[in-house]
Amino acid sequence: MKLIEILKVALAAIWAHKLRSALTLLGMIVGVTAFVTVVSLIQGFNVYIDEKIAGIGAKSFSIQRFNPFEDFKDTDTIAAAQRRNKELTLDDYEYLKERATLIAKLGAKARGTPSQIKRNDQVLDDVFVVGATANTSDIENRNIENGRFFSDTEADGAARVAYIGADIATKLFPAGNPIGGEIDIRGLPYRVLGVEAVKGTVFGIPQDSFVVIPLKTYQLDFGPLIRQRSLYFTATSKTDQGFSDAVEEARFLMRARRKLGSNEKDNFGIVTPDAITGLRDRIFGSVFIVAIAVPGIALIVGAIVIMNIMLVSVTERTKEIGIRKSLGARQRDILKQFLFESATMATIGGAVGVFIAWIVGKVVTQVFFQTYLSVGAVVIAIAVAGGFGIMAGLFPAWKAARLDPIEALRAET
Amino acid sequence: MTEATIATSQTSAGVVAKPNLVSADGKVQVLIAMQNIWKTYDMGAEKVHALHGVSFEVKRGEYLAITGPSGSGKSTLMNLIGCLDTPSQGDYWLNGKNVSEMDDDELARIRNQEVGFVFQTFNLLARATALHNVELPLIYGGIPSAKRHEMAKQALTEVDLVDRMMHRPNELSGGQRQRVAIARALVNHPSILLADEPTGALDTATSYDIMNLFEKLYEDGNTIILVTHERDIAARARRIISIRDGLIEKDEQIK
Repeated sequence: MKLIEILKVALAAIWAHKLRSALTLLGMIVGVTAFVTVVSLIQGFNVYIDEKIAGIGAKSFSIQRFNPFEDFKDTDTIAAAQRRNKELTLDDYEYLKERATLIAKLGAKARGTPSQIKRNDQVLDDVFVVGATANTSDIENRNIENGRFFSDTEADGAARVAYIGADIATKLFPAGNPIGGEIDIRGLPYRVLGVEAVKGTVFGIPQDSFVVIPLKTYQLDFGPLIRQRSLYFTATSKTDQGFSDAVEEARFLMRARRKLGSNEKDNFGIVTPDAITGLRDRIFGSVFIVAIAVPGIALIVGAIVIMNIMLVSVTERTKEIGIRKSLGARQRDILKQFLFESATMATIGGAVGVFIAWIVGKVVTQVFFQTYLSVGAVVIAIAVAGGFGIMAGLFPAWKAARLDPIEALRAET
Repeated sequence: MTEATIATSQTSAGVVAKPNLVSADGKVQVLIAMQNIWKTYDMGAEKVHALHGVSFEVKRGEYLAITGPSGSGKSTLMNLIGCLDTPSQGDYWLNGKNVSEMDDDELARIRNQEVGFVFQTFNLLARATALHNVELPLIYGGIPSAKRHEMAKQALTEVDLVDRMMHRPNELSGGQRQRVAIARALVNHPSILLADEPTGALDTATSYDIMNLFEKLYEDGNTIILVTHERDIAARARRIISIRDGLIEKDEQIK
């Protein structure tokens, strides 16, 4: 008996009991929906991080006082790092800039300070103000909507100029063009040079409420670049191939400058995109397992329901099995028929589940945050559903195949 | 002829040799050869012998009725002839093949190729059209769908139902249903048409129609075995084997 014939028989049997099939599949649908939704949320987050890294420049890295992945493991490592690691200085910056041969651009930034910003009677509290060198705009691939970032000249001259986020622009300049306008940061006037394109929110945190000012201005107006205003560097390599060499060169230069012996640990931290994705993978590795396990339970329950209904179906259709056997159906034909029915039913459930999850994903993307449904996840979800269907069908199908044709023909229904 | 027996050569080892079933032109003439068939059911402590040592032959083109009261063993015999079951003891040759030793798959193939069943309650698939019902044996015979349609239509034409082929059983009368069942039994051109009380669920007039159809099929050269307890239905056949208490009581040529 050809597969297509078996498939037809299976579909006819499912179609003959539409309501029952639909109810039977509810568990499977819920399980697959949950599974695919969770996967698309996680994948969406992964894609988001990948895009962010690509935005920063996949081939950029930073040099900072601490390496969060190494130094912040527990209280002992934090304490050790705090004793060992020293603040980076602008002299370090000049030193690296002069000597590094594999780095294309080296920028310096200081950690931001939440500050009050005013324009006329508009007041914004706790806006993050950061200091940066002019070239960080290129290193971070800033998407400038309007105006420009500040120049080297302005940065070197410690001009009171500002590059602002879209949210600040709309709130402080509701009516007009912010470019050239003046804003008040902690009582000092700054001229707005440029506005960044809207970034939206990530996990409910707005990304458009920030101000960037020249590093020197920041140092003058906010205070020395230590502790909460800790200095750090960002860098890009000259070539993609030379990225890890550029990282190593920076590490070597920093160690030389700090006169570290060969068996001493780095007393600074270098953070690469790999380290960020590595951390993400570590966190999501465990989240993923839990997130898969819960819908997995629903899938198992769904499979048990299918098995139960298939057993009922075999009992109900004993006569049909007898008729088919009397006409020459072999045991394996009957086995395949019921296995197919169960697998087809489960696969349909899987497909419906994927469809619902797709809709859920669309809605979540609209109102909450980005989701991403990959072809791989769809294929796996449907295949897993089908696989559960086969497993659920095995015992009922075996029972059906083993029926004695004479007994089966004698059945009432 | 009473107690029909077949001349078989019993070897010293007690193995029954294959009977001479073939005529001079090489064609199998003896379609069915039952040789000392026993069927024993194990009912826990005691063994029940449904058949004890039944032997007979059916030639190609015969029209045979098997009769007997209920409990006589005629249903058991029918199941054996139809290859739904195998004998506990003895040999059953069907169209030159010894089916008594076959496994389930081989029996299924024989049922598919050699036997056309007609049941008292028609045994059509309720959800399938007449055409699909007739196609069923061909599906299990692995016939491709275009050929299958053609063969099924042909079989339905023979029972004069081709215009109702897209109807489901519940849209057909009892007589029409039985004709669909007969078309299904014939579609694969089996060696024997095995009918179990084919008129048992039909009124008298319809019974007559069905029996006339059997008559026509017999005249066309089909081998028909009718299992019935009704004397007047059995009387339509050319030969009657009467079973009682698991033994052949009478085997008579009536026409």
